Amino acid sequence: MSQDDLSGLIARTALGDRLAFSSLYSQTSAKLFGVALRILKDRGQAEDAIQEVYVRIWRRAGSFRADQASAMAWLVTIARNQAIDLIRARQPATLEYDDAPDIADQAPDPEARAALSGETRRIEGCLGELEADRAAAVVAAYMEGLSYQELAEQYAVPLNTMRTWLRRSLIKLRECMSR
Amino acid sequence: MSTGAQIPDDNALAGEYVLGVLPFAERRRVEERMASDSGFATLVASWQADLSNLDDAYQPEMQPSGVKARIDARLFAEAAKPAGGLWGSLVFWRGLAFASFAAAVAFGIYTSDLASPAGPGQAPALVAELGAPGSSVGLIAALDPADGAFTITPAAFSPDDGKSLELWLVPGEGAPVSLGLVPGDGGRLVLDRNLVSQISDGALLAVSVEPLGGSPTGVATGPVVLSGALAKK
Repeated sequence: MSQDDLSGLIARTALGDRLAFSSLYSQTSAKLFGVALRILKDRGQAEDAIQEVYVRIWRRAGSFRADQASAMAWLVTIARNQAIDLIRARQPATLEYDDAPDIADQAPDPEARAALSGETRRIEGCLGELEADRAAAVVAAYMEGLSYQELAEQYAVPLNTMRTWLRRSLIKLRECMSR
Repeated sequence: MSTGAQIPDDNALAGEYVLGVLPFAERRRVEERMASDSGFATLVASWQADLSNLDDAYQPEMQPSGVKARIDARLFAEAAKPAGGLWGSLVFWRGLAFASFAAAVAFGIYTSDLASPAGPGQAPALVAELGAPGSSVGLIAALDPADGAFTITPAAFSPDDGKSLELWLVPGEGAPVSLGLVPGDGGRLVLDRNLVSQISDGALLAVSVEPLGGSPTGVATGPVVLSGALAKK
């Protein structure tokens, strides 16, 4: 299934075409269920989440723009957001950071910022430039939907330290991908 | 979170949001920011594009077969209710699809009409050809800023089963603004003066399906069926 085919199915779904929607479901639901299950770690919850995900896909199909995101990336984003919101809703709505982490020394220069809109680089190579445990934290956060609190416990560091680590890692990643 | 003497770096904040590490309330704040700050929304989209390269590592998982039926029941049982039907009946959609097709077939005729000035000495200054994704033009909206009215051609749609088509201005940031209902029989759609001043070359227009008389809430509630950008003609 190519991205073009998926884009076409999403476009037809936006027009209320139920056959296209069914086809989109049959070709993408295993992947999106995999996303929900990886984050929620509970089949029943993942099934509930996936229902909500496809209701959203049906309703938001008209907002998909093929020139702004690949079709599968757009679908996975909806699934990740749904699953992450479900677990975040059960956790404290805010966290008590001691202070906003200082990352000023890592801020990208204007030139790097200007390059943000440029070509997307593969992220794997840039993750390789981070210290191994920092790269692992970024990947775990993304793949598993871990919160700052969970990351801090997993790496046995204070919440603030975790946040500073992660934000610095993100800035370094962005600099690398903008090069 | 401490009450913000330091402004968090937007780049890191956008990355934190896409990673998903932020707590619930902060996720909502970031989404509000995305809705009102297109530069920030672009930063988020950029992170999404970059991090989506990790998506390959999500392994597909088979799920029970009943899930799709429950989704259909939720979506299309809602549509079957007489008052709740955002999505309308199948008959309506077939009619709309046919109307789009008919409009495309008729396009040549209407193009020649459009080429002539809308009034004496007043050619439309901005024209949008509104179409559905991947299909041909379904409707043409020509704006004459001088008299503040859209000429809608052709309005082959006549949703007579309790639906209206509503025309929206989709700004680069912020919520779409209603420009009014697409006239059932084509013709002119006169705008408020302050709306006309918001419309410029390149502005995006969209048409959504709404309950009869237009969206009751002031925001688009139905699916967007046609869209297109205004350009000088």
